[in-house]
Amino acid sequence: MALTTRITVENKDFLAAARHFLIDVLNSDSIDAIVVPLVSEGGHSIMPELVTVPSRLEQADPLSPCFPMNSARLISRLTRKPGNRKIAAVLRPCEIRALVELVKLKQARLDDLIVISMDCLGAYSNKDWTLISASGPDNFTRTFYEKQLSGRLSEEGEPEITSACRACEYPVSDQADITFDFLGTEITREFHITGKSDAGEALIRDLGFETSELPKDRGARIADLTARRLAFRDDMFARTREAVAPLDKLSVYFERCVNCYNCRVACPVCYCRECVFNTDVFDHDPFQYMEKAHRSGSLRLPSDTLFFHITRMAHMSLSCVGCGQCSNACPNDIPVMEVFRLAASAAQDGFGYIPGIKKDDAPPLSEFKENEFEEVVGI
Amino acid sequence: MKPDPMDNEHSNALVVGAGISGIRTALDLAQQGYRVTLIDSNPATGGLLNQLDYQFPTNHCGMCRLLPLVHRDQSSQHCLRKGIFHENIDLHLSCELQDLSGEPGNFTARIKEKPTWVDPDRCVGCGLCEQVCPEEIPDCFNEGLSRRKAIHLPVPHAIPNAYVVDLAFCSRCGACEAVCPTDAIQLSDVNRKAFSILVVDDELSIRDSLKEWLEEEGFSVDMADSGKAALSALEEKEYRLMLTDIKMPEMDGVELLAKAKELQSELNVVMMTAYATVETAIETMKTGARDYLIKPFDPETLIPMVVRIFQDVEASKDRVLSVDTVIFACGTTFYNPADNKNVYGYGIYPNVLTHIEFERMLSPAGPSPEGLLRRDNNKPVKKIAWIQCVGSRDIQNGADYCSGICCMIAVKEAMLARQMSGGQIEPVIFYMDMRAWGKPFQSYLDEAAESDQIRFVRCKVHSLSEDSETRDLVLRYMDRPGHAVFENFDMVVLSTGMRPGPDMARLAEITGVGLNPWGFFDHLPFEPARTGQDGIFVSGSTTELRDISESMITASAAAANASGIIRKQDAGQKMPALPVLPEKDTSREPVRILPVICTCNGRLEAAVTKKDIEQVFDFDPDLDDPVFIDRLCMAQGWQEMKDHLADSACNRMLIAACHPYVFTPGIRRLRDDPGVDPAMVHAVDTMTPLFSTKPEKAEEKTLHLSRIAAGLRQGAAFLKHAEPASRTETAMCQRVLVIGGGIAGMTAALAIAGQGFEVDLVEKEEQFGGNLNWLSSTLEGHDVKALLEDTLSRLGKAPALSLYPGARLVNVTGTAGHFRTVLEDDQQKGVSLTHGAVIIATGGRESDTCAFLHGENDRVITQKALEGKLSEEGADIPGTVVMILCVDSRVPSANYCSQVCCPTAIKQAREIKRRSPDTEIFIFYRDMMTCGFSETYFTHARNEGIIFIPYSLDKLPEVKAIEDGIQVCGNDPILDQSLEISADLLILATGITPELPEDLAEMLGIVRDKNGFFNEADPKWRPLDSLTEGIFACGIVQAPRSVEKSIGTAQAAAQRAMSIISQPRYRMDRTTASVRHAICSRCEACIPVCPYNARTLNTEEDRIQVNALACQGCGACAAACPNGAAILEGFSSRQMLDGIDAVFYPLPN
Repeated sequence: MALTTRITVENKDFLAAARHFLIDVLNSDSIDAIVVPLVSEGGHSIMPELVTVPSRLEQADPLSPCFPMNSARLISRLTRKPGNRKIAAVLRPCEIRALVELVKLKQARLDDLIVISMDCLGAYSNKDWTLISASGPDNFTRTFYEKQLSGRLSEEGEPEITSACRACEYPVSDQADITFDFLGTEITREFHITGKSDAGEALIRDLGFETSELPKDRGARIADLTARRLAFRDDMFARTREAVAPLDKLSVYFERCVNCYNCRVACPVCYCRECVFNTDVFDHDPFQYMEKAHRSGSLRLPSDTLFFHITRMAHMSLSCVGCGQCSNACPNDIPVMEVFRLAASAAQDGFGYIPGIKKDDAPPLSEFKENEFEEVVGI
Repeated sequence: MKPDPMDNEHSNALVVGAGISGIRTALDLAQQGYRVTLIDSNPATGGLLNQLDYQFPTNHCGMCRLLPLVHRDQSSQHCLRKGIFHENIDLHLSCELQDLSGEPGNFTARIKEKPTWVDPDRCVGCGLCEQVCPEEIPDCFNEGLSRRKAIHLPVPHAIPNAYVVDLAFCSRCGACEAVCPTDAIQLSDVNRKAFSILVVDDELSIRDSLKEWLEEEGFSVDMADSGKAALSALEEKEYRLMLTDIKMPEMDGVELLAKAKELQSELNVVMMTAYATVETAIETMKTGARDYLIKPFDPETLIPMVVRIFQDVEASKDRVLSVDTVIFACGTTFYNPADNKNVYGYGIYPNVLTHIEFERMLSPAGPSPEGLLRRDNNKPVKKIAWIQCVGSRDIQNGADYCSGICCMIAVKEAMLARQMSGGQIEPVIFYMDMRAWGKPFQSYLDEAAESDQIRFVRCKVHSLSEDSETRDLVLRYMDRPGHAVFENFDMVVLSTGMRPGPDMARLAEITGVGLNPWGFFDHLPFEPARTGQDGIFVSGSTTELRDISESMITASAAAANASGIIRKQDAGQKMPALPVLPEKDTSREPVRILPVICTCNGRLEAAVTKKDIEQVFDFDPDLDDPVFIDRLCMAQGWQEMKDHLADSACNRMLIAACHPYVFTPGIRRLRDDPGVDPAMVHAVDTMTPLFSTKPEKAEEKTLHLSRIAAGLRQGAAFLKHAEPASRTETAMCQRVLVIGGGIAGMTAALAIAGQGFEVDLVEKEEQFGGNLNWLSSTLEGHDVKALLEDTLSRLGKAPALSLYPGARLVNVTGTAGHFRTVLEDDQQKGVSLTHGAVIIATGGRESDTCAFLHGENDRVITQKALEGKLSEEGADIPGTVVMILCVDSRVPSANYCSQVCCPTAIKQAREIKRRSPDTEIFIFYRDMMTCGFSETYFTHARNEGIIFIPYSLDKLPEVKAIEDGIQVCGNDPILDQSLEISADLLILATGITPELPEDLAEMLGIVRDKNGFFNEADPKWRPLDSLTEGIFACGIVQAPRSVEKSIGTAQAAAQRAMSIISQPRYRMDRTTASVRHAICSRCEACIPVCPYNARTLNTEEDRIQVNALACQGCGACAAACPNGAAILEGFSSRQMLDGIDAVFYPLPN
């Protein structure tokens, strides 16, 4: 059973209340460091930092709609091998899902980690964030939450949160140890903090918080939000399907691709130490280019952009958590996330697998079932 | 290129029969490094299994699982139904053993090769001959249910597949010879004129018609009207064949035979006789007659017989071979239901089939590919009956035995028929006892009854007739309450039992191996693979019909015995070393490929031009100009190719011809001459599509060119990135650990130690012997105590054997070739050992029960307790004894038959009767599992007055204690009346519980099945192997079985282990997975996907390791690895990708 405590917000400054909680966590004996998004030195960006001094957390912005990268890979670096320090990390639900996948892929460990998450109301692309955060990160976060929670949507001409966030069906994380729960409360007056795992509960109890109940209509609010996102997602799938089938349309879809591999670098679950596209596996002999050009009169160069994306879909679609960082990273604004999520949803449905949701579900390709997909393989 | 002719004068072993058992034995020995000659009288390998597409209990094939798992490169790696290649096996088809002399280690075998009239080295299987052949005859591959030509493929799927001529039906029209593109058919060699025949009969009309018929066939014929005249003819001229009447005045045929043989000892004589004197004719077979004919006969009977003799005598080639040991794997045949009284109208009613015929009906390649249709009107079959025990368990037919596997065959056929018809067919099986004796059989049977709704009717069918109007088959039988029932069926399948092979008596004669009372090869007590003749062994169904699993076990047991003989000869000194690799490794040189293209006697150029082919490689600088050679399959063409290769500066060679399999052995031999790594040579098939069509139109030619181009380019891609054969050699730990010191463990240890390899035998008790310590004799009366004493004394004397009584395993690490084990004795003193292989023989025990008052009442005891009572000399058991079989056995909680309890019950009941004949014995049973020849003891027991009462699970006997005894209440199913027996003693048969502790299984990384038995890698083909290479099991921990059968498994497991450890070093096979550590992310995705447990994470070095012996090159790891850190040598991504690319190659304009 989860353990919930009610946090009273003073001066309508819920961000301060959240920071205060993180400082309490870092001050506790059981945590040695916290990874949390922080306002960068120049004040223009919000980047994750590994913090050991509580005072540095005054700059923390755990709720910012700025999402420069998926931090799951950073956590992987911190936890891959056993250490003797305990870390807390503030992560969005999609970052946690990616982290769970990395754990299954033996690239990260959860053993000495406390994961703190929040009701995620979405984030902006890096480009849009730079445009609209001129007012300063702090203020922007406050306005963003107030607006989103009160149902006031973005105004005319103002950028929207990314389509990945609008299509995200998991705004709340069940895999976190501790969550900031805003949905269903008046955020300027109060919110809740819930310990969802044994370790999370113990930490909250150690910090001396009193238990209380979650607001009654929280469930309905979550359901409402999820329903809106699912509707967006299905619409997005329909549009994307239209755009990429049949296969020759897929090459049009990716025609602006320059093989920069940024999407791969940004992908949190693309875990290979050395990508196969950096190895000699897909090398061609010079004469093969000549022949191909000969075949059809001309050959687009670089020749393997579509092959790269299809390979990545084959490799990663079972673990794709839909965080949208691939689209965020594309210098040529190719809607990469849309087509990846479409492929991923088919692959994941096929295996009945939802990445990042259940820690105990083995990745489908790690299990051999003799009588599987008989309708596909024909035996 | 010709495969090795039979020029190897010496071979270590001769295996007679290339069915699955012969293949298993041959492969076991070949894998150990010995040279094997494998012969079969048929023109194809695979034996009976060629005709069976699906086998129980998996309902598919899987024969490929016989292929070697270590030293794989020495063997072909393709479907075994198509054929077998192994470097150490000389395969000779259409061959028979004629004569055997000598002694173990030095036998001389004379082998006769029967002509097929088609040179298999020249025949490319194009099929033109078949098209022109005018003679259409019944196809024996489909059991005569379809038709074929006189020139035909003996097995449609074999590779390479050479045609053969059935001379008995050939009209010698010569049409096939004229069309054969490779001059492979040699009918003109047939010189019948020189084959002189003497016809002796006192009746002129017979002499004349015989002369006329035989001369029409091209033979020279002389006639004699009496024995005297015949003898004077024989004095003057040499004859090859004499046909003589038996009943003649003055000198009869029998006397003539004797005298003629004195004059011409090689003369073949056929006796002609009236039906009344058939016995005499059969007698003459023993005094030198070759065959007999029953008068009156027509040319259709006479001519094939004479042609067969002509073929045997004139056209066969004899070869002499010296061998260390001989193994017979010649199998059995089946009872012909048309023999004797033919009560089921077989051969008369078209819808009555034997089970082998029905198998062909089920096959997509069979006579009825469109589904199961009635043979009379081609309408779909709706209802089928199987009649069991046709020619088995039939004393009138001289078959007082059970054929062992027909029950399961019927269940399988019924399941398949129903599944293939989409549930439309209603199957009914009429049986006496459903003998589901094998470990997985009971579950298989239950599944068949449940999901396939097979109806089982327990009765002997009274009669079968055909409805004259509908031609339905009407079965009359008695149902359980005793009413007569008439039921109509569309088809009836007769489950015909086993009979000795037609050649068995002759082989017994020439080898001196004894036959058992039923005409099968006999084996020694407690030695399922050993015959009475030293150095001669039996494998598979030679001694009785066996299922695949049992065949595999006896085949490996035979190999173990044979390898013991071979090793004694060379004392382990001449153990063949690993194949020598070419000195130079050219794989890192810049690629230069020589394309060699076979033009197939002009056939290639009829479709495409040489210029077209040259253009295929236009862009690619790595390829030399192609060399065109006519008929690369011939020795001359192959030599030409080698010359070209020697003259060129190329370091790889691409061969484009017909079936690549044809060239595989030749490519292997390039390793020795001229010293080319076979990995650097690749053959692709560009010709076979041109066998069946001759492209005329331009677009057809273009299509063919594109196919040829794709093949060539795929081959080139494959060669460019080919990896050389591995040169790294790893040391093998030539030592075996055997866990468990019962009869199985002791036998396995002795078999291995007997060949000079070190063995450690661990037993948890202080005393060796296991269950043998409480058994005294077998059903057959063989002395178990003597066996134990003998085994224990051998154990004490074996030099290479270390014994660890009272010890147990505490830790096992490592993989095949190098396991490390820690043992601990009672005092916790540890011993550390290393082994190349492990054999598990932890056995089992009699199951406990609390059913039927056991444990409460002293009068209720188990079979083991009774065995103890009976072991007391002179102890007799008076009064009334009741036995209940299958107590807590074959029920959902322990759903397997324990095999030993029914024979034990009969053994004990007969022993009680022997000691006190007045004792009344009643045995309650479900299905008597007296399989094979133990059936005869069941018959004896019934004759001796022991009463058998069947019961079913829904009507269990009831037992209660009464004053001075036990009351057993049951139900007589025939009278449907209840019966009450007051017994003095109640014996319960509780079956076998395996002893394989979970922690031990876990330590060894092996799996237990749901009943706690060792779970084998494959229930049919690899019954003693675990999925973890190097770990085997034997005895009753693998499955319940008798002492004798356990010994068979022990020898077999020993052989499986020795196949791994016999060679002191091993190399990685070409197609083996490896790891590129530098780019490996250690995600471990490759570890669980490996079906052979070959991959592990080395935590000390933080890297993934592959055990080269365990890895079978399946590629699952390479597929699971996203960045190509897991790679499969020999199937690199470049080869695959470029290979795919090659298919889309643009045609030159």
